[in-house]
Amino acid sequence: MDIFQDSPILQGVKAITHAFAEQVIRPAAARHDAEESMPWDIMEQAANIGMAQTALIDTMSADGPPEAQAAAQGADAPPGKKKRRYGRQLAAVGSEELAWGCAGIMLAIGGSGLAASPVARMGTDAQKKLFKDCLTGKDEHGHVKVAAMALSEPATGSDISALKTTGVKDGDHWVLNGSKQWITNGKSAAVFVVWAQCDPSLGRGGVRGFVVPRGTPGLIPGRKEIKLGIRASETAQVILEDCRVPVEWMLGSSVPAGAQEGLSGTKKMLDATRPVVAAQAVGIAQAAYEHVLRRVQSSSLHGTPMAGHQHLAFALAEMEMEISASRLLVHRAAWMADQDLENVKWASMAKAHAARTAQEVTTRAMAMLGEEALEPGHPVEKWYRDAKIYDIFEGTGQIQRRIVAKELLGLNAT
Amino acid sequence: MDFSLDEEQQLIVATFRRFADEARKLGQHADESDDSGAGAARTALAKAADLGVGIDAIPEAAGGMLSGAYSHTIRALRGLELGRGCAGVAALLESNVEPALAAARWASPEVAAALHGALAGGALATTTHDALGRITITTAASGDLTLDGTLGPVPALADAAHIVISARDAAGPVVILAPTSAFTITPVFPSGWRAARWARLDAKAVRLPAAAVLTRDPAAQHELLSWYKLSLAARAIGVADFAMQCSAGYSQERVQFNQPIGSFESLARMQDQSETATLAGRFLVLRAAAALDAGSPDAAELCSRARDFAAGVVRRASIDAVQIYGGYGFVRDFPVEKLMRDARAFEVLAGDEALTRVLARRQDAATYAGAPAPAARS
Ligand SMILES: Cc1cc2nc3c(=O)[nH]c(=O)nc-3n(C[C@H](O)[C@H](O)[C@H](O)COP(=O)(O)OP(=O)(O)OC[C@H]3O[C@@H](n4cnc5c(N)ncnc54)[C@H](O)[C@@H]3O)c2cc1C
Repeated sequence: MDIFQDSPILQGVKAITHAFAEQVIRPAAARHDAEESMPWDIMEQAANIGMAQTALIDTMSADGPPEAQAAAQGADAPPGKKKRRYGRQLAAVGSEELAWGCAGIMLAIGGSGLAASPVARMGTDAQKKLFKDCLTGKDEHGHVKVAAMALSEPATGSDISALKTTGVKDGDHWVLNGSKQWITNGKSAAVFVVWAQCDPSLGRGGVRGFVVPRGTPGLIPGRKEIKLGIRASETAQVILEDCRVPVEWMLGSSVPAGAQEGLSGTKKMLDATRPVVAAQAVGIAQAAYEHVLRRVQSSSLHGTPMAGHQHLAFALAEMEMEISASRLLVHRAAWMADQDLENVKWASMAKAHAARTAQEVTTRAMAMLGEEALEPGHPVEKWYRDAKIYDIFEGTGQIQRRIVAKELLGLNAT
Repeated sequence: MDFSLDEEQQLIVATFRRFADEARKLGQHADESDDSGAGAARTALAKAADLGVGIDAIPEAAGGMLSGAYSHTIRALRGLELGRGCAGVAALLESNVEPALAAARWASPEVAAALHGALAGGALATTTHDALGRITITTAASGDLTLDGTLGPVPALADAAHIVISARDAAGPVVILAPTSAFTITPVFPSGWRAARWARLDAKAVRLPAAAVLTRDPAAQHELLSWYKLSLAARAIGVADFAMQCSAGYSQERVQFNQPIGSFESLARMQDQSETATLAGRFLVLRAAAALDAGSPDAAELCSRARDFAAGVVRRASIDAVQIYGGYGFVRDFPVEKLMRDARAFEVLAGDEALTRVLARRQDAATYAGAPAPAARS
């Protein structure tokens, strides 16, 4: 088990992403937070060094470039030894470092992965090609292209079986109607993965995904939200008004019946992405902790070194304990995903624990810094605002606990 | 113990509850506007002036409304309501109280009269406490002071003409009253309390006359901070109360998995805990206010405890409210996102109260000694 990042591949990814976070992301973080703007230039730089929006597809497709597949499959195994797979662990290590730089910018760089994931898992080769083609080149503003995963709706986020967006078959098309809420990249995306209820008699199994390129009539990118945190990442509504899409754009089989191709088929996908999302919360906590650690090491309080105060020293010890515990959960869950082991409980524990840690560490760090932390653009105050999202999206803290509890007890307690 | 309100107190609560609704709208406007909250601040101050806010701590003789002793209980009741409206507007409206009371208590009659006259004429004053020793004060043999360093951000400072600075120099605690024109004042627009007209204060070898010192009495500094902390605590509990009101309503409306989210036991417990804490915070605030009004020896202690507790209550309540709103909690269209931003200043201003309390206990072990521990069982 490689949860201690002893492999050269993990070490390498950590070093590269950390350097990128430190040199490129950090200096731009306060500006994009204040302006609530997407960091297009940084996204382009990230794409240029291989953090492309299509990377996920590449690593999961049979026709992906050999280097990408090798990295995910574990190219560093000595001859004769079983190859180790690193895909999720790599993503977790890299995400933590990028979020250490700025979680909003991290999500701008990597947010398309959320949409790429179901395409990679459930898409046909033609759908993967369509998705990739949509993301190739630049958009009309000269920006790198991004993708959006449109699942949540105004009336339902946690209970995805209650989706109101409908898909109705009309000849060789599906007609999609409904509205989607809080969609990452929802305004700018070049391609959307839209989820709609196509057969209510199947419940969750009737909810199907569609690859829908921007410009498809009836798909209307809506208003951009002003948010508490992760402001460099765009969040917007997406409206579907008689949006006609060819049957071939429905993810998986074009016949709606098999539950495994419906929303239920995304369960594994979430188990794989949750540790990566949790890793971002760890990155925020680590950033705040380091900031306040340096302050305590270097400052004095009315003549006494701050570090000499047990009250402050123990607060740092507590932070270190919680962050390390979160990180271990993340890497255990990611490692299990890489081994194709059932990791649902671990993925949810990692997400819930890391979200709580990020909130607690950033809040405590602000209190330790005093008024200075209220300065506009202060990184710790920003991290405090950024941290909260990790208890909300990709399944709220309560939903994670519900999953863990169900694993323990076998039923959904209310 | 009787916690019921008398008629005057009930009237204050009713008046400021109404005003709070207006303040909330102004606060939202300041949140969205790019004029650094100036427009909302002007409107809030003008409207509040009709209610006597801003001049309530200024003696009648100087054009204010104060006859007799100042009532911290009334102020606390007002703070509890203003906090429910908008923390930023509330901070602005409460800003004159400490300078006005401090001048009446410790300044020379001339200095007090000048400050009171200015405040009665519509000027603004503010207060800051340098808990982390960010400013260096050197006192010459003549008693004149030289200040170096940075303070803040301080609420109301962008518009204030006077500032009370609570700090330490080599000799110990010192409370100073100075014109803000002596310093470089840079307006800033933090993410919380956006209507509060914040600014940073920079002092580069700023010289102040000895007469700027209001007091060097440690007990006096404690008293000043007690007023300040109690007011912070009351407003914090007000914000927490509003956060709870929002989440209680929303959790009945929002349905997931075919039931109102408020009926899930985890959310019910979350809300219940915050409500208990808010209630306890309210009692502690009113108890501390009564102690201040009675001049009880434990008043400073109670105010510090109230602030420590209230900061935790508003932190938890605002974070939980965002959680209960889910995705809507994270976006500006709904009221709780602002509350989470506003909550931080209550914990951060005038220093980390938890640390202050720990240091005080350490320094003054005798005060906290209490009764001897019972002997071990033989
Ligand atoms: C910035 C941002 C980006 C996002 N990006 C995307 C995206 O790209 N694509 C997408 O599809 N969605 C996205 N979302 C939506 C996100 O996934 C949802 O907000 C989230 O799933 C919660 O759903 P909700 O907001 O409807 O809250 P609700 O489901 O209404 O929940 C409200 C509260 O009830 C609690 N609750 C619900 N059910 C239970 C239960 N059974 N037991 C106990 N408590 C419960 C929740 O934990 C929460 O506290 C994003 C949201 C945000 C804010």
